[in-house]
Amino acid sequence: MHRSCRTRRQFIAAVASGLAATAFRIPPLSAQTFGSDELIEAAKKEGALVLYTANVAEVEQVVINAFNKRFPFVKVELLRAPGGQLITRVKTEAAAGKLRADVLDHSDRALLASMEELFIDYAPPNAADYLPEAQASPKLWPRITLVWSIAYNSELVKNPPKSWMDLTKPEYGNKQIGQVFAPSGGTTWTRSMFERQVLGEDYWKKQAATQPVLFPSNAPLSDALVRGEVVIAPLLYNTIYPKKKDGAPIEIFFPPEGAPVTPFAAGIPKTAAHPNAARLFLNWCLSEEGQAFMIKELGNLTSLRKAPFYPEGFDPKVVKVWVPDYQQFVQLQAGWIEEWNKTYGYRQ
Amino acid sequence: MGADAAIATDLGGAAGTAANARRRWPPLPWLWARLWSGALLVILTFLVLYPVAMLLLGALTNTNPVVDGFGVFNISLTNFGTVLANPNVHLALANSLIACGGGTALAVVIGLTFSWVVVRTNTPCKGFIAAVSMLPLFVPPLVAAVAWSILASPKTGLINTLLAALGVDWRFNVYSMGGLIAIFGIYYAPYVYMFTASALRNMDPALEEAAEVTGATTLRTLLTVTFPLIAPAIVSGMLLSFIVMLGIYGIPAVLGTPGDIPVLTTYIFKLTNWSPPLYSTAASVAIILMVVTGVLVWLQQLAISRRSYTTVAGKSFRPALLNLGHWRYFTLGLAVVYLFVVVVLPTLALIVAAFRKFLFVRNLASLFDERQYSLVHFERLFANPLALRSILNTMEVGLITALLGGVLAFAIGYTVNRTSLPGRRGIDVVSTLPVAIPGLVVGVAYLWAWIGLPGGLYGTIWILALAFIARFLPDTVKALSTSLLQIHRELEEAAWICGRGLIGTIRSIVLPLARPGVIAAMTLLFILAIRELGSSLFLYTSKTMVMAVLLLDYYEGGNVGITAAFSLVQTVLLGVLIGIAHLISRGGTRSGDIGRTG
Repeated sequence: MHRSCRTRRQFIAAVASGLAATAFRIPPLSAQTFGSDELIEAAKKEGALVLYTANVAEVEQVVINAFNKRFPFVKVELLRAPGGQLITRVKTEAAAGKLRADVLDHSDRALLASMEELFIDYAPPNAADYLPEAQASPKLWPRITLVWSIAYNSELVKNPPKSWMDLTKPEYGNKQIGQVFAPSGGTTWTRSMFERQVLGEDYWKKQAATQPVLFPSNAPLSDALVRGEVVIAPLLYNTIYPKKKDGAPIEIFFPPEGAPVTPFAAGIPKTAAHPNAARLFLNWCLSEEGQAFMIKELGNLTSLRKAPFYPEGFDPKVVKVWVPDYQQFVQLQAGWIEEWNKTYGYRQ
Repeated sequence: MGADAAIATDLGGAAGTAANARRRWPPLPWLWARLWSGALLVILTFLVLYPVAMLLLGALTNTNPVVDGFGVFNISLTNFGTVLANPNVHLALANSLIACGGGTALAVVIGLTFSWVVVRTNTPCKGFIAAVSMLPLFVPPLVAAVAWSILASPKTGLINTLLAALGVDWRFNVYSMGGLIAIFGIYYAPYVYMFTASALRNMDPALEEAAEVTGATTLRTLLTVTFPLIAPAIVSGMLLSFIVMLGIYGIPAVLGTPGDIPVLTTYIFKLTNWSPPLYSTAASVAIILMVVTGVLVWLQQLAISRRSYTTVAGKSFRPALLNLGHWRYFTLGLAVVYLFVVVVLPTLALIVAAFRKFLFVRNLASLFDERQYSLVHFERLFANPLALRSILNTMEVGLITALLGGVLAFAIGYTVNRTSLPGRRGIDVVSTLPVAIPGLVVGVAYLWAWIGLPGGLYGTIWILALAFIARFLPDTVKALSTSLLQIHRELEEAAWICGRGLIGTIRSIVLPLARPGVIAAMTLLFILAIRELGSSLFLYTSKTMVMAVLLLDYYEGGNVGITAAFSLVQTVLLGVLIGIAHLISRGGTRSGDIGRTG
């Protein structure tokens, strides 16, 4: 199930050196492969696919549009549901033999890996370019890789924080900070794990003492930050970056202590009605072109050994990428989340 | 459930037909009678009992019945016990009771005031006040809550920005228990209004006149004679609004979450949403909600049945209107203020949010800075192919639900109210059952129940329509029963004697006479269906996305601008539809029988 063959430190080193080696460049199309002519022809015949995702629908639509610029003949239908509801739906559909998804993407790779028998053996043409640590199963691929940052409302914060540790300072107390609660999903669990393992056993306690406002997920928190409901918030870069790009009064930085990273997991179910279109879609998403698009337009990161380039403000020489140890990611979750809930007074 | 109110007005008819109850007819052949009742019971079992059984199974066994199969019956009360012992469930339950209790108290004050003003005083523009009193029912809860969070968020609310500009230190805080109570109260007052207005209208004024003759003041008469006389109607409306609030998700989700005030519905939603989801726990919490609701429904039925003894009179009368003098402008003013609070202000807030690039309003001057406004959210909304598709799907599912649900409700209503067929009582009870099931969990029950059926039901519009038909069966049946009860049995008997068969009698007598009621019930079903969120959540697919789900998607996607834009689109659509429905069903049951939906 888990095929980690390197240690976490090696992974980080690989990301850092790999990222450092590349600058802004999109290779010409000839250098890329999205699949054989037969695959493309077969995908054309199928003409459609159904994508199940826990990601924000609006964001996925942008990716679909980009994919359709390259392959206009595959109509992508989207089913978006919050993480837990999506899993229930998938399990129920699969058990009834009515799983409609051709591609399934989820932020909690451990949860998806626990259902890996549902998926076909799939690997993209550039499989070797991916960091194996980003995979929870050889059948599942990190189509999406997200990174945490800290953002603040530049109209309202005159003395902005500069690090994770700054978020424990009393001057940012009294509900100025917003936090997504830890049990929300795979990405927030990664952040909470980072806080405790890297910033210290008592980080949660100190941070909770500033009385942050708790949010159910990144999306509403990013909106609250723009509106000024809260003024500082740790946020997935991809949820806040598009707002800054549109001109919202927001500044974002990657704190020096580290930037927690969550690779998602995407795979093709055995029951897919459009397996070729699904392969082509994933091949494109996982290609350098697809990953570059998601970095540039959406503010994602990538699990490619060599990143095509970086999100704005992400200096690979300075930013320390932090990826959770997969075994610990699975084993620690229940107990630590419960402690987090207690520390933050969050009721489960 | 809103349609329950309709029953309150027509108990005169019910009393009239009661005498005929023993001569139930038509005398159908024994076999046909049983076949008909049996068929209805089979349909109801499929639509109601089977999904409810799946829900109970999920709650009691800690399994997903579809995934784990029915063989793994390991029924125990452990799961249920754990939930009952969980202090967080206690907190959510307590918050629910406080928020809905407070909301109900406010709803009673508002609803009772307006019903008295409309029915018993000489306030001008009473048609306008009556319409305003019903208007909030058409506002979907999520939309109302989003609008009020834009208006009265303690830090960034537009009203608070205005207060700051005026140099006032005081701030509104809608993210509080007080805020929840206020929003619940103002948006669910129409339930109390519906019940009390009809009770006041049907009340014999003799006792009031007697009180006045003895020198009692108007206020004293109101408090000691009028309100006690219509007490059952007040209690009935109170319980109904309480039940509806208890099942609402949108308002506590938007306003309770920032203030950290969990209620039962938001707690259930969270349980289904976590990674991994805790469905069995959610089902157990849902059953608590069902029990509370069930008790209240029973109490409400009790109140309704008591009512017929107190206020139904055999003669017709018209209570004298109280001359309020100059105060009548004050009562008119109250209605204008109410309209402003429930409709005008929230619509303005949505307009600001929908047309403003970002909802960051530094100060009052920035609110009027035209450079901040654009059509970008509408452009994005309609650039999403799902938006148009969801509108079309919603219309389709609404039409199917209205037509099929209307027919089924007619069949049930006729069988229960106008025949003496065997199994009538059972049909009545089962068709009322969905009232007690919160929409948020019933969706997963339908998924579990129907996904395994052979054929292609899952993934089509039809599964959504069937879920809506089942969920709103009580509302539709009640609305229809009311108009059926108004038709005197002699008319049917006349047709029967003239040699018409049962079908012929229904076609030539009952349907034409009940037509306004049938159309009104179908309209009600149509509007309930297009607003429905809870039960859609697990049944829509990429092809069958509906508006309510997409709206929640946008809200959860954290883009208040596009959420507001879509809310406005939805509001305009609803307005147009209600206008059309009003034209079609003019003269039928009140178009205000709109009710619960999450």
